[in-house]
Amino acid sequence: MSRAPDRTDRRIALGLFLGSFALLWATEAAVGFVRDESVYFAAGEQVVRWLRLLVQMPGRAMSDSVTTQAFDFNHEHPLGMKLLFGLSWQLFHQGLGWLRPATAFRLPAFAVAATIPAVLHAWGAVLFGRRAGLFAALCFLAVPRHFFHAHLACFDMPVAALWLLVVYAFWRAETDPGWWLWTGLLFGAALATKHNALFLPLVLLPFALVRAVRASAGKPAARALLEQLGLVLVGGAALLGILALLLTPAGLLRGWELLSPPTAVIVLVAAALCLLGVRLHARDGATFRAVAPLLAMALVGPAVLYVVWPWLWYHPVDRFRAYLEFHATHVHYAWMYLGRVLREPPFPVFYVLVVTALTLPVSVLAPMGTGLLSVGVRAVTAGLPRLPGRSSGASASELLVGINALASIVLISLPDVPHFGGVKHWLPSMPFLALLAGSQVQLAGDALGAWLARRRPGLPAAAVTPALGALLLLPAATLTAHVHPYGTSAYGELAGGVPGAASLGMQRQYWSNNVTGVLGWINLHAPRGARVWLHEVHGLSFRDYQQNGMLRADLRPAGGPGDADVAAVQYHQEFREQEVAVWQAFGTTRPVAGLYIDETPQVVVYRRP
Amino acid sequence: MPSPEPPFPRLRAALGAGFLATALLALGFQLWLPRVLPTRADDQAVADVLARESRPGDVVLLHPWWTERARLFVPPGLPVTGYLGDEGDALLEHPRIWVLAQPRLPRTAESEFARAFLPGRTPLDASRALGPYSLQLYRNGRARSVRFSAAEAMETASAVVDLPGQGRLGCPREGSAFRCPGGARVETSWHEVLYQPARCLFVAPPGGTGTVEITFEGVPPADVLRFEAAIVWEHAWKHTDNLTPLSAQLLDADTGTPLASLVVRPGTEGFVAAEAKAGSRRLRLRVQSDRADERETCLRLRALQTLEGAR
Repeated sequence: MSRAPDRTDRRIALGLFLGSFALLWATEAAVGFVRDESVYFAAGEQVVRWLRLLVQMPGRAMSDSVTTQAFDFNHEHPLGMKLLFGLSWQLFHQGLGWLRPATAFRLPAFAVAATIPAVLHAWGAVLFGRRAGLFAALCFLAVPRHFFHAHLACFDMPVAALWLLVVYAFWRAETDPGWWLWTGLLFGAALATKHNALFLPLVLLPFALVRAVRASAGKPAARALLEQLGLVLVGGAALLGILALLLTPAGLLRGWELLSPPTAVIVLVAAALCLLGVRLHARDGATFRAVAPLLAMALVGPAVLYVVWPWLWYHPVDRFRAYLEFHATHVHYAWMYLGRVLREPPFPVFYVLVVTALTLPVSVLAPMGTGLLSVGVRAVTAGLPRLPGRSSGASASELLVGINALASIVLISLPDVPHFGGVKHWLPSMPFLALLAGSQVQLAGDALGAWLARRRPGLPAAAVTPALGALLLLPAATLTAHVHPYGTSAYGELAGGVPGAASLGMQRQYWSNNVTGVLGWINLHAPRGARVWLHEVHGLSFRDYQQNGMLRADLRPAGGPGDADVAAVQYHQEFREQEVAVWQAFGTTRPVAGLYIDETPQVVVYRRP
Repeated sequence: MPSPEPPFPRLRAALGAGFLATALLALGFQLWLPRVLPTRADDQAVADVLARESRPGDVVLLHPWWTERARLFVPPGLPVTGYLGDEGDALLEHPRIWVLAQPRLPRTAESEFARAFLPGRTPLDASRALGPYSLQLYRNGRARSVRFSAAEAMETASAVVDLPGQGRLGCPREGSAFRCPGGARVETSWHEVLYQPARCLFVAPPGGTGTVEITFEGVPPADVLRFEAAIVWEHAWKHTDNLTPLSAQLLDADTGTPLASLVVRPGTEGFVAAEAKAGSRRLRLRVQSDRADERETCLRLRALQTLEGAR
């Protein structure tokens, strides 16, 4: 049976996509440029310059030296989203002149983020019911930090969207023809977005294996082909292992060229997988559909990444290795957590859970938590004898959602993994938690409605779940509206809001975008031609604020307090020295203005007397 | 694939009721929070009281520590203290403390604050409620009369470096700072020491076995000399092998007798302190670290006298 949503749910999903896109666009102008975003703006411009050269002189544009020069900037991230940012900027700002530069860059990010509520509804409606899908979609975007990240021309929300899309396609592929190829293509897009995607096959592999074993049960020919697929994979891995032993792993990578034994092994394995896949398709559709998504991920995914990222074209092994090394050895930025500044591993193992609990609105956290707990309990107790009234074990689909809800959280919880960046590093878990929240709200709302209807027969029981859902969304939406556009400062009710989190000693903010809260004061009060030090704000962002009409064009960036007339200091516990340096340079401890959210200092402005 | 008929209908209904209660409580919190935040009129009321009743030497202590918006409206000239851990600060230069609190803010830890702040402090009046603010004046029993502070005595100081193979070389004065041969420097400046803004004698040692020495003349008599040293900012936390301990010595400049010695090891955050008997009119500070990298030091040397009659 197909897992496609029905026509009504498809329309609702489309409405959610369009509504989310419009909402993000309508609320975008106030959102400051986070440190990385201005880098991606610049990278997007660079892509466009290269594309122009590609049209004019394709041979030269595709040469090693030009692709290296064009894409070396910010090569620590693949090109996928930057390509879209650049194309949108070229079309809507440079070409048509319809949008300011930042909005044009961000437009693709809105579109990708808007797929999350749409997919959550489409999936949730089929898996749990329409109201569950709708709550999942709305509660995801109602979370202040999700809403904030959905505005940015960055990669955290896009990779969360693509993680969701890959898993959704993987789920659809079990029953619906053609979705196995979508799984591979979407995985390629995810790889071309951010390195989180590299962990997706590990999460999906066990599900594919179980599916394949079940599908091939009682089908000797299909099972034999399945075993051959396994043998090819194991054999390929063994051959690469032997080469690594002979040459040492570093030597293997160093000597890996286009025409080399490792390349031959990979090509042979890929060819064998294709051949066996074709034979399996012909022999047994169900078994093919079980393994095809992973085969597509293995074969199509890397190909998409390679094609989309010209920086890899001439030096795929060296540069892919450099890309991995950058993230494997990423610097640990200082980060405030429960009254202490975390600076180096090992980090607290419960950090991610605590931060998630403190940053989510509690009315969203509660159904997410019970949803995850419900799946976990039913999965663990599935093998126990059935008791009267006890629920059935979690279905494979629910387990797929539950495992993906945990995957990124568990990964970032590892004590040696960098812990900075608020919630953005485990954003790919959050859509799945939203799905589970939807299931809980529907089940609990329906039960509450039935219970109430038994006591008050005239009560419209069917209205209870929508009313409960709306009530749960209201505090979250209120908080989101309250902190917008300062989403990195948002904390939920469990923390005691923004002031409660400050007293708990949590990170006040990050990524420097909150500076928009004082740009108005600076524009109004800074002397003409003044030198302005925007602490923590990337140099490119200073330019972007001016280009987008948010900062007066006559103001000049200062390198520090020493040469500044006006200083805007971001409040970070790890940067107290820098505010004190302003006191020293300006001869005063008294600020003149600031951004204070619910009393908490976020950005403090000083003027040289 | 609609959901199966759920088991435990009562449990599910209870869960629904729990969700409903959660939503209402969360909504209540969102509506309540703005009501405990001060208005401009509340700020002005605080500023008026402080302008009217504060004296030179008073300080405003913020509670919670992070409510630094007060810096915008507290009368100029009245120092404001607000940093993580400030409730334990002796504030020894201030005989009277105005505690400006916002006790209704979520997660304001009253008992922890009281436990660290109250010992040695006596309320001098009743707490005044000014909107959501509470303002109360305390006598600071931990205060001392600061007869001498090295950071404020740079005008009478001289500095030399003693470098291996080069001997003692004078450090030319540049404004209120000394720029010494070998890269050492000495100046009075603001720095962060474990989140605390401290105005102190900032010393960058020359490295190796070389030392930088700062000599102060005409130190007034006092009960005790309090000598403190800390590595500034995040450098204090660092503990890699390339960093070396910093030693700081306080000597009687006339006799060369050591009065107090401090060692700040890599990874030590906050001030290390020692006390010495006062009496010498000429004092010398000597600072050394084998490697000068990231060993910039915040030194405080104060001559303290017991204070009598704070009000």
